[in-house]
Amino acid sequence: MQPRQPALRHSFTGVIDGAAGAPAALPSAVDFRQVRYTYPEAATPALDQIDVQLPEGELIVVVGPSGAGKSTLLRLVNGLAPHFSGGHLQGSLRVLGLDPVVATPRLMSREVGFVFQDPENQFVMDRVEDEIAFALENAGMARQEMRIRVEETLDLLDLAPLRGRRLDMLSGGERQRVAIAAALALRPRILVLDEPTSQLDPKSAEDVLAALVRLNTDLGLTVLLAEHRLERVLPYADRVLYLPQEGAPRLDTPRALLGDEPAATTIPVALSPPLVRLAKTLGWEPLPLTVKEGLAWSRQLRVPTARGAQPPVAADTQPILSTHNLHAGYGDCPVLHGTDFAVRGGEIVVLLGRNGSGKTTLLKSLVGLIRPQRGEVRLQGVSIKGKDVADICRQVGYLPQDPNQLLFADTVAEEMAITLRNHGYDPRGYDLPIAPQTLLERLGLAHKAHAYPRDMSVGERQRAALAAILVTRPQALLLDEPTRGLDYAAKARLRSLLEEWRGEGMGIVIVTHDVELAAEVADRVVLMSQGEIIADGDPYTILGSSPLFASQVARLFPGTGWLTVEDALDYFRGQTHAPYATDDYPDEGA
Amino acid sequence: MSIPRDFARGIAPGPNRSYAPPPIHAAAWGTWLAAVVVVLAVTRNPLYLLFTLTWIGWATLLVNRIAQNAAPGADTLGLPPVQFSPLTFGLVVVTLSALFNGLNVHVGTHVLFRLPRGWPLIGGPITAEALLYGALNGLALTGLFAAFVLLNRVVPVRNLVRLAPRAFYPVAVVVTIAVTFVPATVRQFASIREAQAIRGHRVRGMRSWLPLMLPLLIGGMERALQLAEAMMARGFAAGDEQPQSTLWVRAALILGMVALLAGMLLHLVWRMPVWGPVLLLVGALLIGGAVWRMGQGQTYTVYRPTAWRVQDSVICGGALLTALAFLVELPGLARTSALYYPYPALTWPQLDLGMGLSTWGLLPPVFVLLWSLAKQDGPANGADVSDVSEQ
Repeated sequence: MQPRQPALRHSFTGVIDGAAGAPAALPSAVDFRQVRYTYPEAATPALDQIDVQLPEGELIVVVGPSGAGKSTLLRLVNGLAPHFSGGHLQGSLRVLGLDPVVATPRLMSREVGFVFQDPENQFVMDRVEDEIAFALENAGMARQEMRIRVEETLDLLDLAPLRGRRLDMLSGGERQRVAIAAALALRPRILVLDEPTSQLDPKSAEDVLAALVRLNTDLGLTVLLAEHRLERVLPYADRVLYLPQEGAPRLDTPRALLGDEPAATTIPVALSPPLVRLAKTLGWEPLPLTVKEGLAWSRQLRVPTARGAQPPVAADTQPILSTHNLHAGYGDCPVLHGTDFAVRGGEIVVLLGRNGSGKTTLLKSLVGLIRPQRGEVRLQGVSIKGKDVADICRQVGYLPQDPNQLLFADTVAEEMAITLRNHGYDPRGYDLPIAPQTLLERLGLAHKAHAYPRDMSVGERQRAALAAILVTRPQALLLDEPTRGLDYAAKARLRSLLEEWRGEGMGIVIVTHDVELAAEVADRVVLMSQGEIIADGDPYTILGSSPLFASQVARLFPGTGWLTVEDALDYFRGQTHAPYATDDYPDEGA
Repeated sequence: MSIPRDFARGIAPGPNRSYAPPPIHAAAWGTWLAAVVVVLAVTRNPLYLLFTLTWIGWATLLVNRIAQNAAPGADTLGLPPVQFSPLTFGLVVVTLSALFNGLNVHVGTHVLFRLPRGWPLIGGPITAEALLYGALNGLALTGLFAAFVLLNRVVPVRNLVRLAPRAFYPVAVVVTIAVTFVPATVRQFASIREAQAIRGHRVRGMRSWLPLMLPLLIGGMERALQLAEAMMARGFAAGDEQPQSTLWVRAALILGMVALLAGMLLHLVWRMPVWGPVLLLVGALLIGGAVWRMGQGQTYTVYRPTAWRVQDSVICGGALLTALAFLVELPGLARTSALYYPYPALTWPQLDLGMGLSTWGLLPPVFVLLWSLAKQDGPANGADVSDVSEQ
């Protein structure tokens, strides 16, 4: 049976010869000319006035706020839009001289490799080697050629030792490298990646980015990469394509785009990494993009040598949630080994640690989803033994990694009503812990009360899930990787919500790999390793001294105890004399 | 993209990257399984059943040994974990089957005890014959289960679907995906159940399943769409470039099916000894030819086809002999000894040497596995899981 093709309208225009603009030094890999793309049944175009030429052989990072059309732009490059999604494309688009609409994604797959956000959802086979060979088998490649291609690809991504492994037994970073290898097997000249590190911890993300840089520098592969966490990718980018929410996109070098030019064409301060924000405020020129470049400036500054440790928040008050000699795990596999942990009202505790260190297991144990093998969990000083998860969750809100698993109703308001009914409340009654409308207003979702939750943006969906669990007004809130997939604006909004709730006396526990979030909100940081708590203290001591979990500012000013841009600026604003230790400013080329 | 020669030079196989071809071809395993099914379907002779179960158990033990030797790291073996061991299955099924048959069938001369006549269904004499026959049925079921578990462990789904005719390649890929989708769906369901529990959800009636099933359904569809998009991006046959099957091929398919149907009717209903089989043959040939012709349009290659070797022929030969011995009367073999029936009075099962030996036709895989194990124990061979898991 023929697959049903999506409704497709394509206003074809030929390549505009002699179009405005001098030819680039490098030939264009992707050439957008006045491209406008509208999804089916959408009132406004997802992309408009796209008129950029992406040079071949460069590593280009696509940045912009959520909803600016980054994923759509990437999907145009190999023809998935409009072939898969339908819609209306206007203008001219050439990828290595081909028109992806005419060529179809099937043929474009030989020129453009595509890697999606979540590797798990793109695997067809169950083993590493077979997954890489899949595209080659489809292309009908001769067996000998196929063997060579698979071996080369395994070596390129350093996957040879994993070749026979089952995909579901690989770590997140390894899986994403397999996805990249699978996309590279057909030897495309362009590799397109849609937020490939958003699901990964810092170490795995580093591995994936290192592999991409190697492919770009060693093989001259054109890499087109969408990413929210700019601090991760900017050091490697040759150019940045900035897609603003409104207006024309701009392609330039990272320094030029982050520079102090009119806001319409530069990346807003809010979207910049902490290092860039600090550098711009302190007037460092040329703008440092890596901590190494930043250190050339920061070392010239007079800074305090140490900062006193912060007293723990209300250490004498009774914890809302605590564990005592907790041993827990999955089946016969123990994960937590005698963990003692507590969170009190009015504090934010951040749990950090490698993948598999037991952070999520601890969170699940706190709400009774995993029962202790030994030891106990106490809620308000009373053991939760024998209590139902539903009863515990009336007092403890828990947001899992994927908020989609919570959402199934037709509207956000209905999601809240369902939780209330589950707990025996009448959603229209007057004795509710908090008025649903008030909660939605505080979450910034009042206008979305009747929207379908799964149609909303990632940040909005997360807040809708928060609405569904906070409507019982729990005393404690547990969040598992809450910044995953969020852009800077959504992250800032979440941060301010957390601070608000902390002010109201809620005890909050956050599991995250996002050290910048930890630096900004944590009252206490707990480091876990192999199911044990190896450090528990104030963030200035722990994040300031950890090489793996230090924030960018902590790396710039080691020993000061500063973690955030605000920490550093607070100090410099209070200085009446010149902050630089010597009269010599760092070299221009630093 | 040009790839430097350094990478090409790096393909010399090292100790932990060598590829060992699977010792047994998937088709040979399939034939062996078919023979096991035939034996277990035909016989209730406890001796033949025990022979067959012993061969299956021996093969299973060897597969486990090879897997353990290959990578002493339990879950990293590459073999899917067994959810329910055949031994546990056997204990449960044999007991239940004996009890069920014993309580429901009140025939036989060796009465163990009597239940009051007034008890519906189970009232009456409980006989040793009925208990034994139930247990034998349970043994046969256990053998089937163990054989399928073994095949599931040693033959990945992709190797099985590669046995499908070329014309059905897209269907075979879809089957592979469907199989890999199952564990993902199970994991997703567990996460959704947890996620709903933390919203205070409790499973009470039918309606309370809605919060579990809806996200599962929506999530499943979202994953399916993402996978479809990913496959399209990787050049999976979208269908638009496949040559359409010609009128002749379609006509041959339809005629073949009509001939098959007519042949079956003539052979089974009207008992026509010549025209029935002839029409069946013509139908099979027409369908086979049409499928072969349709397969010509598929352009795909197999990355690592498994070579057919002598041991595969031996396995198939042995399996065919065993199946034949239990299906048709062969000279010198007392096939009737397979049809053991304990009613109306318990008798010792008859052991025909020829029939007993014919079950040895299921043994060649055991010899091949023993040989693989011996090779694996040798100093030259490192820990390569593919020996078993890649079959």
